[in-house]
Amino acid sequence: MDLSVTLGRLQLKNPIMVASGTFGYAREMEGIVDVSRLGAVLPKTITAEPRVGNAPWRTVETSAGLLNAIGLDNDGVDAFLEHHLPYLKEVGTSIVVSVAGRTEDDFVKLAERVGSQDGVAAVELNLSCPNVSGGIDFGTNAESCRKVVAATRDRTDVPILAKLTPNVTRIADIAQGAADGGADAVCLINTVLGIAIDWRRRKPMLGNGMGGLSGPAIKPIALRCVYQVATAVDIPIIGIGGIADIDDVMEFLVAGASAVQIGTANYYDPTVSTRLVDQLPAALGEIDSDSVSAFIGTLNR
Amino acid sequence: MMAKLHADHYADSMHQIDTPLKRNDQIGEGTFLIRVAAEPLARTLVPGQFVMIRLSGTNAPLIGRALAVYDVISDESGVPKWIDLVYLKKGTFTTALAESPLDTHVTLWGPLGNGFANRACDRLIMVAGGIGQTPMLLLGREALGTQNFGDEDRANGWSPVVEFIYGARRASLLAGVSDFEQAGFRVTLCTDDGSQGQQRLVPDILCERLEELKDSGESIRVVTCGPEIMMEKVAEACQATGVDCQVSMETPMACGIGICFSCVAQVRQDGPEEWDYKRTCVEGPIFDADQICW
Repeated sequence: MDLSVTLGRLQLKNPIMVASGTFGYAREMEGIVDVSRLGAVLPKTITAEPRVGNAPWRTVETSAGLLNAIGLDNDGVDAFLEHHLPYLKEVGTSIVVSVAGRTEDDFVKLAERVGSQDGVAAVELNLSCPNVSGGIDFGTNAESCRKVVAATRDRTDVPILAKLTPNVTRIADIAQGAADGGADAVCLINTVLGIAIDWRRRKPMLGNGMGGLSGPAIKPIALRCVYQVATAVDIPIIGIGGIADIDDVMEFLVAGASAVQIGTANYYDPTVSTRLVDQLPAALGEIDSDSVSAFIGTLNR
Repeated sequence: MMAKLHADHYADSMHQIDTPLKRNDQIGEGTFLIRVAAEPLARTLVPGQFVMIRLSGTNAPLIGRALAVYDVISDESGVPKWIDLVYLKKGTFTTALAESPLDTHVTLWGPLGNGFANRACDRLIMVAGGIGQTPMLLLGREALGTQNFGDEDRANGWSPVVEFIYGARRASLLAGVSDFEQAGFRVTLCTDDGSQGQQRLVPDILCERLEELKDSGESIRVVTCGPEIMMEKVAEACQATGVDCQVSMETPMACGIGICFSCVAQVRQDGPEEWDYKRTCVEGPIFDADQICW
């Protein structure tokens, strides 16, 4: 059984990754799952400067979903390189570092700095966090997306992944921009912009007002985005959005994703990620396949 | 050598289990107690730690809820086997749980968080309001030395006297009082409407006790759990009298294991005006009261 997958210049031992912001810095999960068995780990998005994050409440549950506005709470790139990366390098699987900036220059500098570190397999550009101003523009305009990806490709040798927002009219256009800029893969999707309101207090429930919706509620949207981009754009895809069981994984793979990221499910089912690695061979066996790669994008259209 | 990471209490001894409800009994107005077999958790947990719980096999609701461990029950040979959780039926999850028949499966993960300190003292005063009594039964028993938790070398019997000041809006909401009395705590009850115990607020009773005890020469520790405004007043009373005080913070959690960064509280840093958001699930939920920016 061959579980390995290739995304541009990035090779993974299996397609089960965990999504940035839903796995801490991996140290949190050490006693919970065997992190080394995952295809890749993405620590929480880092920014150039420390960010305190948004005021509580930072998450609110909605029907089969979770609305969050954490606000990229992180200690900045210096602390990441000093405190977290030394640990991450030893976990025994590929490390993909998620970075976010306000300007193209922010992204380039962060990608260059992080991408030059030993033990970093790829950089994911978080072009789509809905909870900070600035970053989202790169994910909503194909030309801005192409430019920021191209600029980072020019300055670093590591594979570049572009994480895109679904909060656009035509996601395939943005994905095409990422492909034209030289991204190794696009990650579809970040959270869906939403709001929860307490009508009695006449206030939004999240401290930041609006937030990003994740969890099973958004799976059909994520799957649709993967489907649309797989049809229209020649670029490897990483599927994200509400993936919680092995059927979800197989649906994303057959729709055209070469790998998947497990996100919100880590919150409510902390051992889910490695369980999906365990279950993958049997699922492939069910359709007489002995290779993940051979199954990817084989949807009968 | 690894650089120091952020939190001191990652969920390194956590187990995730799927287990049927063996009890689900009403013990007060809107207040229920569930019992589940949870041996791997029961063997290692310490007072003040919590578990996350959700209904298995459904996404309604989706996210786990944090509950303090109320009691640990051992089998005939003394092996901790079951845990009891006490909850107030209030929102979507607790309403669904209250209506769940026995043998309904729940998913639990824990033990989580740091737990109360077990610093020795002459007198432990536990102050609880509302549903904040839930972590106090185990703590008081450990303090008196009548129940052991965690590692064999963990100290117990570290306070010869345990007082418990417990208040609620009305008598029917006081739940588990007989458990606390049977555990050997000196119980003082109060209610907002005077329907049981004194018609006073718990911080006022604490202030009076601290005043009575101030010349006793005893070393006193206070722990508190309940509404934030109550804990703030308890913390103020302790600070004014120089008494060691720990608080159990309840902030909305999504994961309980430190990965979502939802449950942050403002915690003081080195400088007097400096603070940072800290995850109560892995930095707490127990904090020294003077660390919290109320």
